[in-house]
Amino acid sequence: MKEMTAKQVAEFVIEKKDLFILDVRNESDYRDWKIEGEKVESVNIPYFDLIDGVGPALEKLPKDKQILVVCAKEGSSKFVAESLEEAGVANISYLQGGMKSWSEYLYKAEVYRDENVKVYQFIRVGKGCLSYMVVSENEALIVDPSRFTGIYEEEAAKDGVKITHIVDSHLHADHISGGKELSERTGGKYYLMRSEGATFDFNALEEHDEIVFEEVKLQVLAVKTPGHTPGSVSFFVNDKLLFSGDTIFVGGLGRPDLGGKVAEWAQDLFNTVYEKVASIADDVIVLPGHYADLDDEMNEEGFIGDLLGNIRSRNELMQNKNKEEFVDMVVANANTETPPNFEEIVAINRGVIKAEAEKQQELEIGPNRCALHHTH
Amino acid sequence: MNVTKVLDAKGLACPMPIVKTKKAIGEIESGQVLEIHTTDKGAVKDLAAWTESTGHELLKHEDDNGVLKFWVKKG
Repeated sequence: MKEMTAKQVAEFVIEKKDLFILDVRNESDYRDWKIEGEKVESVNIPYFDLIDGVGPALEKLPKDKQILVVCAKEGSSKFVAESLEEAGVANISYLQGGMKSWSEYLYKAEVYRDENVKVYQFIRVGKGCLSYMVVSENEALIVDPSRFTGIYEEEAAKDGVKITHIVDSHLHADHISGGKELSERTGGKYYLMRSEGATFDFNALEEHDEIVFEEVKLQVLAVKTPGHTPGSVSFFVNDKLLFSGDTIFVGGLGRPDLGGKVAEWAQDLFNTVYEKVASIADDVIVLPGHYADLDDEMNEEGFIGDLLGNIRSRNELMQNKNKEEFVDMVVANANTETPPNFEEIVAINRGVIKAEAEKQQELEIGPNRCALHHTH
Repeated sequence: MNVTKVLDAKGLACPMPIVKTKKAIGEIESGQVLEIHTTDKGAVKDLAAWTESTGHELLKHEDDNGVLKFWVKKG
């Protein structure tokens, strides 16, 4: 029985190759979150309906496509795939490690290179989260690291550089940050906004307008409104690259409802867009913290990002709105769907509670709802 | 509760808890209750979905120090 790794599945999705998925998880898990892609077709038949025979699945499977059986962890998909192979189905495999490994896989893409810096994007395809490595001379800076810190260490080692700076653009609600752990493992300085309420030692971004190392000058674009929590900080590198965190996405603006203070957040977002970002040139590359739809938001070069000018021209909200209009539109577009387990994830990222790896894995399983509904 | 049969599926990974549950439920009469013990966390949603699709009734479930216990009345 052949197995397919999450990496191979990601290649099918990104390269837009035909894949037919038989997802054998229960219906509610399937409805909540599944593997998607332009050329990915899927059907859901729970494994417990296939224990006495795979007949119900046979009639739904195409003859001419690669078929992948998927379940939560692996066991059931292997069982079903083997039964289907015995029943004569060709081109069939199961997903190694199930949706758990799909949730965790990071796809690396090079997004930028000049004489001073090289930037890699790490796409967490199963969740829609993005993190970055900015390499210059002998050092690297990591933006919004996932909890799979080993990957950044490996990639830094490949480039022969040392991770010296780690930044989080905001306190994440959809995934557990690897920032603190990566800082402990590498000795790199970890920066976060103090106003986000973390309880461990870190470097407060409030005290750093810039982070400078090797040939990199990173400007911290924060709307420092005293007294309340900002939504997200952006990082502007060498006047060429804008790491926009949770504020600007390829497909729209961030969703301001997670803190339950929609209007306040919307005003910060307005200030970010109209005061901080308005003066930034059209040919700057925007590299966001999330995406909602890979096929829509991945560009021809194979990464998630676009020129600021293109994003501005597509988004009415970024064009000559006054504060009141802007806030009204953002509030009207806010939605109440939250990422799974976001309260616990926020508490972990603040250092208020601790969780073992298995618990972290469980909390993160499921869809990313931070960028699900962009505000247009 | 009047339990007719107890199934020990502890330590087994998916899909075995449901495979064994199916077999055990075949061995009791309609209206009788099967008690299932498992350590597979996926069983919580899967057993609920399975009983619903097969016409059995999941009477209750509880977490007893990491052992998940289910009571299913055969439909």
